[in-house]
Amino acid sequence: MIYIFLISLFFITSCAKKTEEREIVIWHWMTDREDAFSRLAQEFMVERGIKVKFELYAPSEVYSQKVRAAAQTNTLPDIFGILGSPRDFASFIKAGFVEDLTMYMEENNGKWKNSFYPQAIETVSFKDGNMYGVKPGIYGIPIDMMNIQMICNTEILKKAGIEKIPETWEEYVDAGRKLKKKGINVFVSGWGEVWLLEAMATSFAFNIMGPEKVFNTFKGEVPYTDPDWIKVFSLFDTMRKEGLFIKDSITMVNKTAEQMFANGRSAFTFNGSWCINVYKGMNPNLKYSPCLLPKVNRGNPVYIWGGSGSWFVVNSKSKYKKEAIEFLKWLTSSQQQKFLTEETMNLPSNKDAAEKLKGLLKEFALGMKYVTHPNFWPVHETPEVIEKFDKGIQLILIGKKTPFQVAKELDKYKKEQLKE
Amino acid sequence: MSKILLKARFEKVKVILVSHLICILVTIACIFPLVWMVSSSLKTQETVFKDFSLIPKSPHFKNYLIAIKEANFGIYFLNSVFYTATVVLAIIFLSSMAAYAFSRLRFPLRSVFYIMLISTMMIPIPGIFIALYVLLNKLHLINTRIGYILCQINAGLPLSIFLFKTFMDKIPKELEEAAKVDGCNKFQIYWKIVFPLSRPTLGVIAIFNTLAVWNEYLLAMLVFSDKSLMPLQRGLMVFYGSHLTQYPLLMAGLTITTIPVLIVYFFMHRYIVSGIIAGALKG
Repeated sequence: MIYIFLISLFFITSCAKKTEEREIVIWHWMTDREDAFSRLAQEFMVERGIKVKFELYAPSEVYSQKVRAAAQTNTLPDIFGILGSPRDFASFIKAGFVEDLTMYMEENNGKWKNSFYPQAIETVSFKDGNMYGVKPGIYGIPIDMMNIQMICNTEILKKAGIEKIPETWEEYVDAGRKLKKKGINVFVSGWGEVWLLEAMATSFAFNIMGPEKVFNTFKGEVPYTDPDWIKVFSLFDTMRKEGLFIKDSITMVNKTAEQMFANGRSAFTFNGSWCINVYKGMNPNLKYSPCLLPKVNRGNPVYIWGGSGSWFVVNSKSKYKKEAIEFLKWLTSSQQQKFLTEETMNLPSNKDAAEKLKGLLKEFALGMKYVTHPNFWPVHETPEVIEKFDKGIQLILIGKKTPFQVAKELDKYKKEQLKE
Repeated sequence: MSKILLKARFEKVKVILVSHLICILVTIACIFPLVWMVSSSLKTQETVFKDFSLIPKSPHFKNYLIAIKEANFGIYFLNSVFYTATVVLAIIFLSSMAAYAFSRLRFPLRSVFYIMLISTMMIPIPGIFIALYVLLNKLHLINTRIGYILCQINAGLPLSIFLFKTFMDKIPKELEEAAKVDGCNKFQIYWKIVFPLSRPTLGVIAIFNTLAVWNEYLLAMLVFSDKSLMPLQRGLMVFYGSHLTQYPLLMAGLTITTIPVLIVYFFMHRYIVSGIIAGALKG
């Protein structure tokens, strides 16, 4: 007891150190990047003589709370990330916590800006006339990229005698029938997390009718009962009728779907580029390859969801704003991005670094040219209609409703929403 | 007559069987996660998803060594021991005194204060994170051990006061009157008579609060930014990837962190039942 008491006194009296030296503090939530970030910070110190301290707060919910609390007390670090929707991002900007980086990005004929994938910049930008009322500009620095693609188990396909990865919907259905005949599950996905279902459905919609018509639907100018939308819903109906997916997928979380695919229990899945890390951990011997969703309309490209996976912002009230921007420029240069990619297996945000990729990362990076994301779209569907849309597809998948019924109900709901 | 006796005996056996079966099921439900944790800690990242047996074919004991090395448990362990000991001692001391005051002393607004204090039990700490952060920041207690300890004491006090008070209400007043005749003042009555008699409740409070402080993580994340001040649970975070959790190492780490709590439990478990029955349920 006396011992504990003495230690207590020692600990209580030892306050946290306060340093007066120039130090950039960065808050993040990326547990798997902690070591890589620390090593980069050490390298930066040696190279530029500026100390950088990465502070990890995880899980992401705690991190978000900490950032919000720090914002209220004006104690945000020099660099931090904002998790959440564009609305959250906008609220931080409007409250004056985030530095507008447009000027720095455009320096030297936009050298820094042009080093990124355009989609990466779009994720962290607000355009003129944006719905959040944010001054147009670039407010964040993308650290890495991601995209969501169809993924196939190449070993299973070979076993089933499927030599070519299906590129069209017809080829996909055909391959599915062959797999089924051999008793192999065709497709698994964590559709219990409806954003995956939404990503898949809108990707098909972009391919079938092109982005313009999709946006016009969101505006209320094209009804959901349009034959093209019926076609989108019918794809899921075909999947159900042909038995082209593991039935549990409808309620499955993505982690379970990842596990099933990694264990070779399905030939296809729909997942993000982060799966490289996941499958490596679950089954290092898994042979797979990303492929775009099968084309329904051969005349249109297939778009996939993607964008910047994680990004940082600079605290506009930081004492070391200049140094913080210097560090971020250094961090996103080709060499550092290559190091981060090798260490963390995430797609780099720097285009030059992406060109030097090999293997699976390269295959995923090839999909970047087809990337789109709701965050970049000029118009957005309301959350209520999106919910109804996702639920409608789930009802088609369990055979409770036909594509036409879902389209009709959705259209009616959309019209009611527009009236309101 | 014998038929009736036989039927009664059969009924009795049936009741015993059913109650034992329920107890066995509850025990299994309680122990299974622990067994699964230890079992998973001996598997590899690959087999943890494939091999669902409780006894792995080739146990990987080196997971424990890796977990200790990677999680850097050393400093975190010392911190956790310190936080737990300080908070639990402070809670026992403060809550027993407060409970004694609420139970025995007569002062204005006594019931109002008591209800206000008890009602804070309904507020979960995550719900007041932002307010707490603002307050600690204003008091310059962010990123300090004392800030974290004060929050933890505050979180543990209401339930502890409630348990102590309920127990103390049942202690015969004659004992105190006898002590008064012997010349004890109010503090001496509390310290020499009431506090020692409250030992069963003390055991419960010590265990409950030890568990709460030892396993706490969210508040630490909010209060601290300095890694060297973080508690043991921070060490486990290295096994949670953004996209993949290293389950075998995490489970090995969890097993290691569970051991001290189990030791405390084994030493004090007899107080739990007697404490709850004697104190908490009397009210």
